[in-house]
Amino acid sequence: MSERPPILLDGVEGETIPLPPPGRRVLGGDPFAEPAGPDPFLARLPEPTPQPAREAPPRRPAPAPPRPGRRGAPPLADLEPPEPRGWLERLVDEDALRRVSALAGLAETGSDYDRFGMSPRALRNSLPFFLALYRGWFRVQAQGHEHLPRRGGAVVAGNHAGLLPFDGAMAVLDVLLHSDPPRLLRTVVDRWGGSLPWVNVFLARVGQVVGTRRNLIDLLQDDQLVLVFPEGMEGARKPVTQRYRLQHFRKGFVEEALRARVPIVPMAIAGSDDQTPILYDVRPLARLLRLPAAPLTPTFPWLGPLGLLPYPVRYRIAYGEPLEFHTRFGPEDAEDPRLVRYLANQVRRAVQQLLDRTR
Amino acid sequence: MTGVLITHADEPLGRRLVKSLYHDPGVASLLAVGDGPAPRAFDRFLSETPPRLAYACVDLARHRSVADLFHARRVRDLGIDTVVHVPRHGATPGAALAAGVAERTAEARLVLQHSLEVASIRHLVALGSAFVYRLEPGNANRLDESCALDLDPDVPAEIRAWIDCDMLFHAEIGSERLHTALLRVPTVVASGGAIYLNPALEGPPRPQLRPLGFDPLCALISDKDVAKGIQAAIERRARGVFNLAGHELVPLSQLERWTRRPRLPLPGSALRWAARGAALLGAGSATLDGPHLRFGFSLDTTRAQRELGFRPGYRIGMARSGDGRSRLETSAL
Repeated sequence: MSERPPILLDGVEGETIPLPPPGRRVLGGDPFAEPAGPDPFLARLPEPTPQPAREAPPRRPAPAPPRPGRRGAPPLADLEPPEPRGWLERLVDEDALRRVSALAGLAETGSDYDRFGMSPRALRNSLPFFLALYRGWFRVQAQGHEHLPRRGGAVVAGNHAGLLPFDGAMAVLDVLLHSDPPRLLRTVVDRWGGSLPWVNVFLARVGQVVGTRRNLIDLLQDDQLVLVFPEGMEGARKPVTQRYRLQHFRKGFVEEALRARVPIVPMAIAGSDDQTPILYDVRPLARLLRLPAAPLTPTFPWLGPLGLLPYPVRYRIAYGEPLEFHTRFGPEDAEDPRLVRYLANQVRRAVQQLLDRTR
Repeated sequence: MTGVLITHADEPLGRRLVKSLYHDPGVASLLAVGDGPAPRAFDRFLSETPPRLAYACVDLARHRSVADLFHARRVRDLGIDTVVHVPRHGATPGAALAAGVAERTAEARLVLQHSLEVASIRHLVALGSAFVYRLEPGNANRLDESCALDLDPDVPAEIRAWIDCDMLFHAEIGSERLHTALLRVPTVVASGGAIYLNPALEGPPRPQLRPLGFDPLCALISDKDVAKGIQAAIERRARGVFNLAGHELVPLSQLERWTRRPRLPLPGSALRWAARGAALLGAGSATLDGPHLRFGFSLDTTRAQRELGFRPGYRIGMARSGDGRSRLETSAL
C-alpha cells in the first residue's frame, strides 16, 4: 500500500490529519474499534465562555408551541405490516415497507404534506426505486448506526462527491432502514436543485429541503435529523485527483447546531468519489450556462445524459461518534467566528478520519 | 365594548367578518362599508331594532367619499373606534388590471390616512396577503413575520399592489396614536369552494398557464379562521404583523383540481415570453408567471398563537354535497 500524502486542514497551518499507518487494512475495518489518539487540537481549544450560575438553560431560545407535525414515527414493534399497493411494492420486503409507512404520521394534521412539502405517499412510491439502487446498484454496507440519536434533533455532517447526489439518497435510505423508531434524514440540498423543474418538486416530496439557514433552524427546532454536506457543490464537482479529500467546510451548520444545542454526527460515505470520476470541470462553460459544473468524465458528454449515470461502485457508509460541542459551548458561542471555524475544522477532521478508515 | 367599521363588507370575506362580529358580545355596533347595495345576507341584521349594524355604500378609492364617511355623524353616533380594512380581493370586474391594482393601493392609503385623522379611531386591523414575501427557490419556504418582502421589480402587478398596501400599514405599526395590526393570510378558502387572495386562482375560471415542472405548496386558511383572527386582533387591541394560516398545505395542482381550474403547463422560458408579451399589451397578470407559481411556502404562525391566541379551528377538504357533487368545504375541527 503506497503512503498517501498528509492532508492540511484549513486555517491550521502546519498541522495534519493523522492517517492510518502504512500496511494497516482500511477496507471493511471497524472505524470505532481502536480508541482515538491524543487530540492535537485539544490544547488549542479555547476556553468556553464563562457561564453565570443559573438554572439549566432552556433547550431553545423561545419555547415554540407544539406543532402538529412534530411527533416522530412510532416504534417499529408497534406497527402492523402494511398491505402492498401495486406490483412494484410486492417486490419490496415487508420491513422496508413497514418503516416507510411509519413516516405517514410526519405529515401535518389534516394534510397529506408536511410544511416542507414532504409527502409520505410520495416517499412510499419512490421506495422501490431507491431500494433497488441501495441494494442492487450501490450494494451499500453501513456501520455505526448506534451513533445516530433515536430521538431529538442532530446534524449529520458528511462528505459529498460524485456530481449527482446519490450519496445523500443512499444515506437517507440507510438511516430509514436502520433506525428504530424509523427516522427520516432530512437532507439540506443545494439551492440550485430547488430551482429546477421536477427536481424541485421531487426533492420536496421525498423530504429533502433547500439549504437556507431558516430551513435548517426550523428542522432542528422540530427535532429532526438533518443531513448536511458542508463542502457544498465544491465536494460534488471535485476532480478525480482530489478524490477522498475533503474540500473546505462551511461553518453555518456548526453555528446552528450550537444554537439548537444538538450534537453533530460525522458521517463518511466511501464510494461516491468513484461513481463519476470528473477529469476536468470546464468552469467558464458552467458559468456561461449557469450550471454549478460542466464536467468531463470518461463517459460524459460522450454518451449524452447516459454518461452521467453513476458507475455501480460499492458504497460504504460509517457514522462516527457524535461531537457534542453543545455540552461545552453555549448558543452565544455561535457568534464567535473563530471558534465556529475551529469547530467546523474539527468536524472536517472527524469526517476525513472516518473516510480514510472506511474506504 | 367597541364599534367597528369594516371595509368591503359586501365582498365574501367582509360578509363573513360582519356575521362573526355581529355575534361577538364585545362589539357594540358595526358599520359595514361596501361598493354596492347591502348584501341580502345583512337584511336580518339591518331590520333588528335597535339596529347594531349600519351599512354605507362608499367608493373607497375616492378621497372625498372616504373623508365624508370617516367624518360623518353616523360614525360618531355608532361609537366607531376600530377600523378593519378588508382589501378588495381582485381587480374590479371589467376594469383594466392596472386600474384595479391602483385602486387597491389608493383605498389602503385613504383608509389609513382617515383612520389617523379621526381622533375617536384608536385601532386599525388590516388584512394583507402572505404572497408579499420573497420566495427562495424550493418548496420549503417557511415564512415568519420578519422575512423579507419581495421587492423585485419583476414581481407581478397584483402582488406589487399587495406589497404596497402592506408597506403602508407597516409604516404605522409603531404609531402610538393608532394601534395598527397587519394580518397576513395565505390562500383563503370559503365553503362552497371560493378561493380568495391567491393571485393564481382568483377571478372566474378561465384557461390559464403555469410553469412546467413546478408544483408549489399552498398554505390554506378557512374564511372563518380569518374572521376569528381578526376578531382576536380587535379584542386584544393587537399591534404588529401577524401571520395567520390553517393546518392544510396543498400543492397548487391539487388546489386546481379541487377548484376545477386546470392550467396548461408550459416550459418556463415560453411562459416568461408570454408574460412579457402580455405585460407589453397592458394585460400583465400574476396568473401568467411569477415566483408564486414555482415556489411554495408555509407560514409560521407562532406569533399569532402567542399574542392573539389564534388557533385554526376549521379544516378544508373536498366533501360531497346534497346533490352528489363534490366540492371544497370547510368544517370545524
